[in-house]
Amino acid sequence: MQSNLEIDWTRCDGHGLCAELLPARIARDEWGFPLLAPSAVPDDELIDARRAVALCPALALRLETR
Amino acid sequence: MTAATLDPSTAPSGSTWAIGTPRLLAGLDRYGSLDHTAHIATHGPLPPTDRARLTALLDAIALVGRGGAGFPFATKVRATPDHGTVIVNGSESEPASLKDRTLLRRTPHLVLDGAIAVAAATRAKRVTVAVHDDAAAAAVRRAISERRDCRRVRVELVGGGFVAGEARAVRRALDGGWAVPPGRRVHLTQRGTLLSNVETFAQVAVALRLGPHRFRDTGTHAEPGTTLLTVGGAVAHSGVVEVPLGTPLGIVLSAAGAGIPQAVVIGGYHGTWLAPQLNAQLSHAAGLGAGVISVLDGSTCALGELARVTAWLAAQSAQQCGPCRFGLPALARDVAAIVRGANPTAALHHARAVDGRGACHHPDGAARFVTSGLHVLRTEIERHQAHGGCGRPTLGQLAVPA
Repeated sequence: MQSNLEIDWTRCDGHGLCAELLPARIARDEWGFPLLAPSAVPDDELIDARRAVALCPALALRLETR
Repeated sequence: MTAATLDPSTAPSGSTWAIGTPRLLAGLDRYGSLDHTAHIATHGPLPPTDRARLTALLDAIALVGRGGAGFPFATKVRATPDHGTVIVNGSESEPASLKDRTLLRRTPHLVLDGAIAVAAATRAKRVTVAVHDDAAAAAVRRAISERRDCRRVRVELVGGGFVAGEARAVRRALDGGWAVPPGRRVHLTQRGTLLSNVETFAQVAVALRLGPHRFRDTGTHAEPGTTLLTVGGAVAHSGVVEVPLGTPLGIVLSAAGAGIPQAVVIGGYHGTWLAPQLNAQLSHAAGLGAGVISVLDGSTCALGELARVTAWLAAQSAQQCGPCRFGLPALARDVAAIVRGANPTAALHHARAVDGRGACHHPDGAARFVTSGLHVLRTEIERHQAHGGCGRPTLGQLAVPA
């Protein structure tokens, strides 16, 4: 099982909360939109990742597990 | 190789010609456009098919979708459940492309044959032909009225810009929504919808008649058969051209009456700039996309052409996704600055910044177009840096809609 963060770009408004909560995985580009680390989310970061997903004000961040 | 010229004087919308024997464009030289009688006289009746026979045929001829993405069509048919919808995507929102409109207007029965065959194989409840212009809609409606097997077929005019031709955007427009791509990656086949490009269905109609062995008589081993190109820009004979897959670019350019090309853009405005390598074989694996070949000769400022199209691509953003909405205008400003003598660092940076970061492939395609253009035009960039320009006007050899 692998968990990856994904962004629904049609919803993301670049609030930047995700980058504050997950600074190791998410940076921001010059317009404030998230830049995701390309790798899967390791198990010890899953709780933080789920929190970032839950707190995204635009409901744009998702954690996809496959 | 013979250049069998289909007479342009009978062509209502741009000329059509072929290298080798035309398959999709067969009969256009004699009839101009093919009504049902001319269609049957040219192609013969459509053999019946079912799911097993059609998928076996599609596997044998390795047919890939002709809308640009090049997805194996057999895989798409297999993934489509029974009792769904077949959509013939005739939006053709690539500005330099004319091939789908040409098929719809001049040989609509071939497209309908393919759609009916795929509908029969998947027991589809409905077939929708989605088009962007009135002339195509009228031609297809007239063709439907000439035959008895098209009761389930309807024609829909869908509007919109460049990204409106994206598969999921077409589906949304037909459902009554905005013609823009959705944010979630949902495969249409999961919803019982099989959508493909106009030419894909015409190829199915040809393949059903020829059978796998004769279909493979031309083209390459990996990509058998013919393909349609739209050749434009600095050529004497622009228009829609049918060629065997694997035909060298130089053969097409000389048949089209291109002079000495400065650069060639393959695959449209999400495509790739090439230095004119005349022995490069045209194939979907090598980025043929929807088959657009645009030629630039030495009389135009190629960087100016690149800047114009980049500005147009930025204007075509659906404004849904931040990196595309802000990144493409930034990219367009960067390329305009290169024309005035700036170095390409900022443009290359912004191309990387938008790549892969959107709901559809518009930002990725724009990034590929700009990055490959800057690579091919690197000596032009140096000339512009040294002299603030190249002294040539931008002639608009890469056409953009007004």
